[in-house]
Amino acid sequence: MKIEGTHELYARRQRVYEVLTDPAVLKRCIPGCESLEKTGENSYRATLKAGVGTIKGIFTGSVELEDLRPPAHYRMTVSGKGQPGFLKGSGDIDLDERDGLTVVSYTGDVQIGGTIANVGQRMIQGAVKMMASQFFTAIEAEAKVEADETPPKHGFFRTALRWLSGKLRRMFRGKRSNPS
Amino acid sequence: MIPAQFDYVVPATLAEAVSLLSQHQDEAKILAGGHSLIPAMKLRLAQPQLLIDIGRIKDLSYIREEGSEIRIGAMTTHYQIESNARLKQICPMLPACAAQIGDVQVRNRGTIGGSLAHADPAADWPAAIIALNAEMVVVNGKGQRVIKADDFFVDMLTTALDANEILSEIRIPAPAGNFGQSYLKVPQPASGFAVVGVAVHLTRDAAGACEAASVAVTGVTSKAYRASAVEAALKGKALDDATIRDAASHATDGVDANGDIYASADYRRHLASVYTRRAIEAAAK
Repeated sequence: MKIEGTHELYARRQRVYEVLTDPAVLKRCIPGCESLEKTGENSYRATLKAGVGTIKGIFTGSVELEDLRPPAHYRMTVSGKGQPGFLKGSGDIDLDERDGLTVVSYTGDVQIGGTIANVGQRMIQGAVKMMASQFFTAIEAEAKVEADETPPKHGFFRTALRWLSGKLRRMFRGKRSNPS
Repeated sequence: MIPAQFDYVVPATLAEAVSLLSQHQDEAKILAGGHSLIPAMKLRLAQPQLLIDIGRIKDLSYIREEGSEIRIGAMTTHYQIESNARLKQICPMLPACAAQIGDVQVRNRGTIGGSLAHADPAADWPAAIIALNAEMVVVNGKGQRVIKADDFFVDMLTTALDANEILSEIRIPAPAGNFGQSYLKVPQPASGFAVVGVAVHLTRDAAGACEAASVAVTGVTSKAYRASAVEAALKGKALDDATIRDAASHATDGVDANGDIYASADYRRHLASVYTRRAIEAAAK
């Protein structure tokens, strides 16, 4: 399955790149991440308690970062399995600077199998989008804070509020640039 | 196909169910009709530690008229709504929608409250409930609150219900004036879920023009939504072919459609506009 998307982050590109490749930050920002440990240069092992609504599962797997070209690009390869099924795939992440904000675009190919693919196929794309928007909302909050400052707190309500305020901000910005 | 271990309790009152839920929060699930939850548990996609069965609580299953409202208890089954003679007269969209859900077994056991609280992105009820401008009555430890249908569905399988709240009643303003309704869907052939489902409620003025339109779509994206652009394109207009066709072309404006093996995002958008046109035509008859 192809997955792709773009997210606009109100933060400097260099800083966004730093937080996106910082395991301590990722552990805080990946929805349901219970552990993330370094197993080598740019490779990590993770445990996620991921899911939406009633449907939840625990996944363990590995993440590798390759082709690191700060602050513009990296490639990520993921493989994981858990009780509800397995997934493996890889994708390219690109960071662009535009009008003082950072546009992160990702595109990749993911294979999903097991129970979740057999019975949950129709929900996978929606679930991926939902988790990606939670993740990037948290990443944006992290990237606004400099490396030597106290990192922000995350939680369901904080993430929901940030998501809402971001949406409003984009709405008003859209109205100004498109006065119809 | 055997669920993980879980505990099971059968409260006798709604207050007792709410207090059990408040104690256990995310570890517990409310069991209504069980036709989404039990399959998910059997596949171990859901593993709640406690099931709170609200099926024996009296007075959660009813269809009644009070003042200018139709009130439906959360544990009312799809079949009870489908077969209610009075509803067929005063709000035909409800029985029409119920009749298109799943199969006979699902309609006999599945409940309107269970379906709404589960918030499957392809469920039928969410579209009907939004188009009918319904309100959800939700009970918690402190009493009750009312949530508008437009605010109830937050995202895929996620509603505005807090972890300690139970949906108890659906309130629908009784349709008045010269109105027309319809619910049309493209069912997934295996599951019966809506690939696309469209609910339309129209009122017409003395000249036959559209006074107001309420249109909601399910199945296309992560949650059912109100098709505001379609509503705006119908309001105040004569319901001729050109108007309906133009309005229906806005069915997925601003919506991020999802695709799956069965229907790509583009195909879903196309189906949404075709079925919106047909649903408006059916409601305008």
